[in-house]
Amino acid sequence: MPMQLRRRTLGVRTLIGFILCAALGAGAQPALADGPPLKLGEFLDLTGGGASAAEAARLGVDLAVQEINAAGGIAGRKVQVVTADTQTDPTVGVGEMTRLVSQEKVDILFGPVISQVIMAALPVVNAAKVPQMGATGSELIVPKIAPYYFSLLINAQSQASAVIAQAVQVLHAQSGAIISDSGAQSQSFVESMKKEMATRGMKLTGVQQYQYRATDMTPQLLTLKRGNPDTLFLFASSGEDAGNVLKSLDDLGWNVKVTGNYTVATFAGAALKVAGVDAFHAHDVTGINYKAFTYCDAKALPKPFLDFVAKAKAFRPSDAARLSLPFAATFYDGVGLMKQAIEASGGKTDGPVIAAWLEAHAGDYKGIIEDFAASAQSHFLVGPGALASVYPDRVVEGGLQQRYGCGGS
Amino acid sequence: MQDALIVLVHGAGIGAVFALIGMSFNVVFNSSGILNFAQGNMLVLGGLFAFLVLPSSPGIGPWFVFLPASALLMAALLAVQGYLTLLPLRSSVEQHSWLITTLAASVIIGAVLLIFQGTAQQTVRSPFPSFWFLGTRVPAPYALSLLLALVWFGLLRWFHTRALTGLAISAIAQDLDAARAAGIRVHRLQILAFAISGLIVGSAGFVAAPVIAIANDSGVSYVLHGFVAAVIGGLGSDLGALVGGLLVGMISMYAAYTYGGEFQDAVSLALLVAVLMGRPEGLFGRPAARRV
Repeated sequence: MPMQLRRRTLGVRTLIGFILCAALGAGAQPALADGPPLKLGEFLDLTGGGASAAEAARLGVDLAVQEINAAGGIAGRKVQVVTADTQTDPTVGVGEMTRLVSQEKVDILFGPVISQVIMAALPVVNAAKVPQMGATGSELIVPKIAPYYFSLLINAQSQASAVIAQAVQVLHAQSGAIISDSGAQSQSFVESMKKEMATRGMKLTGVQQYQYRATDMTPQLLTLKRGNPDTLFLFASSGEDAGNVLKSLDDLGWNVKVTGNYTVATFAGAALKVAGVDAFHAHDVTGINYKAFTYCDAKALPKPFLDFVAKAKAFRPSDAARLSLPFAATFYDGVGLMKQAIEASGGKTDGPVIAAWLEAHAGDYKGIIEDFAASAQSHFLVGPGALASVYPDRVVEGGLQQRYGCGGS
Repeated sequence: MQDALIVLVHGAGIGAVFALIGMSFNVVFNSSGILNFAQGNMLVLGGLFAFLVLPSSPGIGPWFVFLPASALLMAALLAVQGYLTLLPLRSSVEQHSWLITTLAASVIIGAVLLIFQGTAQQTVRSPFPSFWFLGTRVPAPYALSLLLALVWFGLLRWFHTRALTGLAISAIAQDLDAARAAGIRVHRLQILAFAISGLIVGSAGFVAAPVIAIANDSGVSYVLHGFVAAVIGGLGSDLGALVGGLLVGMISMYAAYTYGGEFQDAVSLALLVAVLMGRPEGLFGRPAARRV
């Protein structure tokens, strides 16, 4: 063989060798670009009453998706986000859910944050058998009617237990009145509170409601004041509403102690803007938060949450500065939990398969929140054991709140 | 008794805001037969202006400087809206495209607020302290809103009965075609009426900013209550809007106190139905003859 021809043959063999190696090498990588993308539907209340919470949820989901895609996706499939805005309107929500499952053909769903919205959309999502995680608190949403839906929010019963425990054991209150908004979640809370108060022998002196975005709750509070309760239980769905309740209390000059729910703690920033810090002090306001988002000693803050805060600030600085990062972290954990469920189920995204895995193994997941749990009877992923009473106005890095009883006033 | 007085005082405060929206409805309605459904969001824009220009602890000086600025700004905006609304209409009383145009203006304002301000409700602090009256601490913006409603009622009454331009607008309200035949520049006066409604709602939003919800989705509630106030009082009657606004405010507050907050809006709408059944032209409206 002439020298020139032998060199050319060697060159062709080398080239083929490189192509084969490259092909084999590519086969060893996660099949990120090979399979169809895994479609994640954001079914969120991005406008209307639920907007501030939904925006925080979106921040958490988007950050988790970015990290998951950078690490190879879920079961080798790149995650593609499709967003729908329910406008906090159940009717709009049904239409958007239909679009997500029928047109977009999403594999998994995150949201909403308002109970009425998911209750209206349940027939659509049930028929499609798409696994879903939202943050709703109504106890009407049970596995029987929502078999593939899980809530990252503590349910009304858990909140009621924690709120009553705070009132009875710490404040030594013997009677209480309840003020809440008119949402479905709040009505579940009121019913749970009535049961819990009856169980503990606490006297209920009155119940009142207000509508989202109401600015003057004076007439409702005036009615409740007549009952002379030891404490006022406040169940708000937005920080602004909680602030307006406190402002109206000041207008009446009624210095009652206020024991608030999860929203009063998590969205305290908005409430503080409306009512001012003096109102929080005057009414010795407490709220309920996940232990993962609380601290006792300012020198020993929880690292998993601080890491999330740093990532969120780098990801979307302006959103991280104005939104509730604990709420965002809850959804961030939710995406991680869903990823683990899908991968442990062999990459399947069928609602029945994922629901069965979550019911059995949700507690195995260790994220920022370490106390996830679910069962065939309850799809609320966070129970009362994961909660703590906090001072909503004592906030440090990222929204961490001081647990009640820690530190000086 | 004491409780009822407290409820009525607060009801009158928020009712004054409804009355101002009702009066701004009337100014446009009298000149063109148009009901401007963007008025609720215009009120919110007035409040947003207060949020943007006033510091977190505002002084009285800046407040007095920016109050007329808010009114003038909203007057300019409403004049533009009026021009665009009237542009395709040969006669505003015979065509109803304004219904879509004014609703569209409301939706656009809400969307712009959402884009630039997000979903949060903005908070404005009043430079005037609250004061005690009948056993309740009354937020100063309530009292100022009531005062503003009375001032605008007086000004509009003078304008429609004494000022030449106001008399011309009154002539349009009575017979648009006759007014046009008499040489009145109807289109120009209709735009002026839009601007005057902007003065009312811009000043109302600024004054009431500390007690209204300044958010992208709160305008609907205000326009609904303002509309109910105007209809109960009698569309076109400023006295009717004033009385209707106060009635709606006080009755809705009293309903929340007596029956619960869930009945607050339902009762004011029931009041609307009751008034319309008994007196379709409203409490102070005049029945209009119609040629068939």
